[in-house]
Amino acid sequence: MSPQFEAGRQVAIVGYAHSVLRRHAERPLGALAVDVAREAIADAGLRPGSVDGFVTAALFPTAGAHAVVDGVSTVSANWLAERLDVTPRYVAGFQGIGQIPGSVALAVNAIASGAADYVLLHRALHNPPGRYHDNSMREARGLQQWTAPQGFFGPLPMIALPANEYLQRYGADREALAAVVVEARKNGARIPWSYWHKRPLTTEEYLAAAVINDPVCRYDCDIPVDGVAAFVLTSAARARDLPNKPVYVAGYASSGTVPRRLPLHWPLDDIMAGGAEVARQLWRHTGVGPGDVDLPQVYDGFSPFVLFWLEALGFCPLGEAHRFVQDGGIDSDAPGGLPVLSGGGALGNGRMHGIPQMLECYLQLAGRAGERQRESATVGLACHSSPHYGGAVVYTTTPW
Amino acid sequence: MTVARPVPVPDELSAPYWEAAARHVLAIARCSVCGAFAVPPDQTCPHCRTTDPAFVFEPVSGRGAVRSWTVVRQSSLPGFAADVPFVLVDVELVEQSGLRMIGRLLDGPDAALHVGYRVTVAFEDAAPGIAVPAFVLGGDT
Repeated sequence: MSPQFEAGRQVAIVGYAHSVLRRHAERPLGALAVDVAREAIADAGLRPGSVDGFVTAALFPTAGAHAVVDGVSTVSANWLAERLDVTPRYVAGFQGIGQIPGSVALAVNAIASGAADYVLLHRALHNPPGRYHDNSMREARGLQQWTAPQGFFGPLPMIALPANEYLQRYGADREALAAVVVEARKNGARIPWSYWHKRPLTTEEYLAAAVINDPVCRYDCDIPVDGVAAFVLTSAARARDLPNKPVYVAGYASSGTVPRRLPLHWPLDDIMAGGAEVARQLWRHTGVGPGDVDLPQVYDGFSPFVLFWLEALGFCPLGEAHRFVQDGGIDSDAPGGLPVLSGGGALGNGRMHGIPQMLECYLQLAGRAGERQRESATVGLACHSSPHYGGAVVYTTTPW
Repeated sequence: MTVARPVPVPDELSAPYWEAAARHVLAIARCSVCGAFAVPPDQTCPHCRTTDPAFVFEPVSGRGAVRSWTVVRQSSLPGFAADVPFVLVDVELVEQSGLRMIGRLLDGPDAALHVGYRVTVAFEDAAPGIAVPAFVLGGDT
């Protein structure tokens, strides 16, 4: 068994910035990213010339036939560094899924190894004109020949199949998903930069919405937006000289290999087996366990992920998350509630991938959450994507 | 303008699969080294990991059990716009544990379904010389 992560708590987040989320921004995504990057660097008490590392995950996550143009539909680390007029020592892009934990890992490794001193980590997400995932392909080649002619295509049936598998296996229904979405929207409504600011959703509104791929309705899916977030990371030693309270990265885990399947075929057992492995790696890597986590910000790009992550990480026994969420278990306003969506998540903010989870950990642990500030949170956990196709990072307030 | 459903474009690896499907025969790739079935076939065998699986497409019973399903009421493929709502079933074939396929269930969107229900392969003729595997309810265990 490999030991705890040697670089654990050696690297900290020291600043951030986040754009307002809009369905379609008035300015190009690249210009927005440059502004947000400059703001994050200033927030950390630094100047652009000090930043010598740039990290992102530049995937444009659409099943549609949209062109991918750097600076328009995505923003790569190189693109951003050049526009900031700096010459970095380290530039990297995370290629896998679970982009935010993957990017954090690149930044932490770069700083801990001395490859860079100050790393800017950003994520820029774009909502193209037209329907996000629609694809008018006439011919299905390569891997898609095994699914598209059969009518299986895009993320909706991808998540609907394991969601229904879960509901059928444990005798649950859409009320469980409603509990997740309503909680996310309640919290997102309080966040000024959220697309859903001041727009909570009631259970009745949720249940009245048309189901589009049973059991999933549109409220179970995060809404595509134009938005950019950026964080500055540096070593714990350098963080001491900067204005904000550092939030340390205790460690991370990314999903390993999964059984080979048809594209986007995610059986529930694959998700949970992969999630169990992520959890095992994460606890071993960080030296903490589920009982130590005050702020488990699980990923919710589709609402069923919340149930899967709660069980995979051991916050609920297998098969129990649907009852837990319906019994107020994730009510972040209740004294005993587990604040898993206190940052609004993706459902309460917009499609920013794992950014809402990471940002909530940072803001709460740095004491910068304003009116939403929670008392005595010291350990946060931020997930992204599916338990078998994603990752998670643990953050702490203390460098030991 | 009506968009047609996407049709498969067979390649070197998949050609025997689509040739069999055109005859309404489900033939699944079987590794020549270890004998395990693979959906979809790939450069290496997902079971024995050989880099030379020399997959042979072997006719199978086409019978399986429903592991999950969804009713597609909105598709990201405009070519299926005239077909919604339709049911997709996630089927475990009887030939091998964990061998799963996804296809349309041709019994209509209101078919009563439960995990474990038995289904049998059926085919939709998509274009001249091209048929796409799907499923219908029923079949022996």
